[in-house]
Amino acid sequence: MSFLKLMVKNPFRNKARLALAVIGIAIGIATIVALGMVTDGLKVSIEEQLKTGGADFVVMKNTTSDSSTGSYSIKNSRVDEISKIDGVKQAAGVYTSSRMVEGNQLGLAGIYQKDLNMLGVKMIQGNPFSDNKNEVILGKLAAEKMNKKVGDTINLNNVKYTITGIYETGNKELDSIGGLSLSKLQSLGEDEGKVDMIYVKINNNADLKTVTQRVEKTYPGELTTISSLEDFQRADDSLQMVETASMAISLLAIVIGGIGIINTMIMSVFERTREIGVLKAVGWKSKRILSMILGESVVLTLLAGLVGIILGFIGIEAIIIFSDTPLQLIFTPALALRALGIAIFVGVIGGLYPAIRASRLPPTEALRYE
Amino acid sequence: MTKYVLEFEDVWKTYSMGDAEVNALAGLNLVLKEGSFTAVMGPSGSGKSTFLHVSGILDTPTRGLFRINGRQTSELSLKEQALLRRNEIGFVFQRFNLLSQLSALENVMLPMINKDSEKAMGVLDKMGLEDKYHKRPTQLSGGEQQRVAISRALINDPSLILADEPTGELDTENAQSIMQILQDLNRKAEVSIVVVTHNPASASFADRIINMRDGKILQ
Repeated sequence: MSFLKLMVKNPFRNKARLALAVIGIAIGIATIVALGMVTDGLKVSIEEQLKTGGADFVVMKNTTSDSSTGSYSIKNSRVDEISKIDGVKQAAGVYTSSRMVEGNQLGLAGIYQKDLNMLGVKMIQGNPFSDNKNEVILGKLAAEKMNKKVGDTINLNNVKYTITGIYETGNKELDSIGGLSLSKLQSLGEDEGKVDMIYVKINNNADLKTVTQRVEKTYPGELTTISSLEDFQRADDSLQMVETASMAISLLAIVIGGIGIINTMIMSVFERTREIGVLKAVGWKSKRILSMILGESVVLTLLAGLVGIILGFIGIEAIIIFSDTPLQLIFTPALALRALGIAIFVGVIGGLYPAIRASRLPPTEALRYE
Repeated sequence: MTKYVLEFEDVWKTYSMGDAEVNALAGLNLVLKEGSFTAVMGPSGSGKSTFLHVSGILDTPTRGLFRINGRQTSELSLKEQALLRRNEIGFVFQRFNLLSQLSALENVMLPMINKDSEKAMGVLDKMGLEDKYHKRPTQLSGGEQQRVAISRALINDPSLILADEPTGELDTENAQSIMQILQDLNRKAEVSIVVVTHNPASASFADRIINMRDGKILQ
């Protein structure tokens, strides 16, 4: 019999306690995995949106500068001004909003028809909308969810809009919304003359960095450019907030899991006091007893880690499916390794004190223990 | 020249119990020859168990000189003490102290963990347990459990076996059988044996009987 086998076998002696300890730690790990999948999904989604469309970069309101008014809207006139900056081939203003449509919350993007290429839109059925008509196009996922086809109508602020086409971009979030004329959506939102972002395409021979710098220098403190995930994170702190919340919950999970494992392992050592005395009597060194208890703790948390990864994966997928949220989830081996790493860390930290206590038990006292 | 497996020179072991101090061993002087079979008898509280624990380096004397196979234990590090226990001493307990989650074979292998199981099987075979390798302690009778415990004590070919009331939990027949095994080990394998017992029938298997009272040997 190997030492490793003994270490793996021991935690299974008290199955009820094992199950409770595993569940306690697994819930923490599941939270870490679920939040990790959401943040990784958000990152990938943002990157996809930046890459899949025809735009080279996106202009957004600089909300971090001192001159910021706190508003996310950009004046409509900036779209034309930016399109005239040296190196810019095309600039498209985009206004976003959402409306309840037949019991579904439908996200809407307002953009002029000529600029649809900037979002990477490919019509798979029907045709794009006309800018001056009450027409709308739906993403493939939105059409499936609402059970709509070309020719059907939807009500937006009690006005009928005809669905002229169904499109696909390959991005889950964009495919879960609808698109219509920029001016129509602006008037629906009573926000005429304002856009939320400007998609910009540069000339073939232009340098991306030079053009983005020109835009930012033209509107210092007012506008910022985003051509990568890093730019987005710099300009928009929402992803940072999700990541910070994720880290805080992870830390909490580690602390709670750690306390749980300390309690479990102390109980285990307490119950096995006499056994530890026997092991010392048959010549086990204190170091070996310490390794055994520490190993048992890690075996327990590793098992909890595996259960937590499965729970987190299934749980967040189920939440997204049942809540109909168009959120992309990404599960990566790195996330699984991070979760297992945290589990091992909790096992080592939580098992350390009980292991030291066990290794220092005087053999005669341990043997007398009833 | 006579070799001694255990040597006690004015050994004291004092425990504090509240404000009072109790001498479990009170200036014990004793030598046990290599290959001897000794039974230690005496009433409860006479110091028998402390004598056995000090002999097995599970406890250290408060003062005095104690040697095992000529080595002074006070000069050994904790690691060296553990190695000495593993390689030169075998323990047999009254309640067998087998690990319930392990099979008989795995229990025997505990002191030699990570090594080949063939030797453990050989020792169990000699104890007549060739068909019990994979039985858990709860699936064995008291006599069988004690034979597994003796096998565990023998696995590293010790020069000394210390047995604390080895027949205390057994019926007369099994008690006789266990004492016979210990006597055979002493006579055939020349293993030194010290048995602490209340039972005169068990003590009668020994070559020498020592009576203890108040932490001392009665002359």
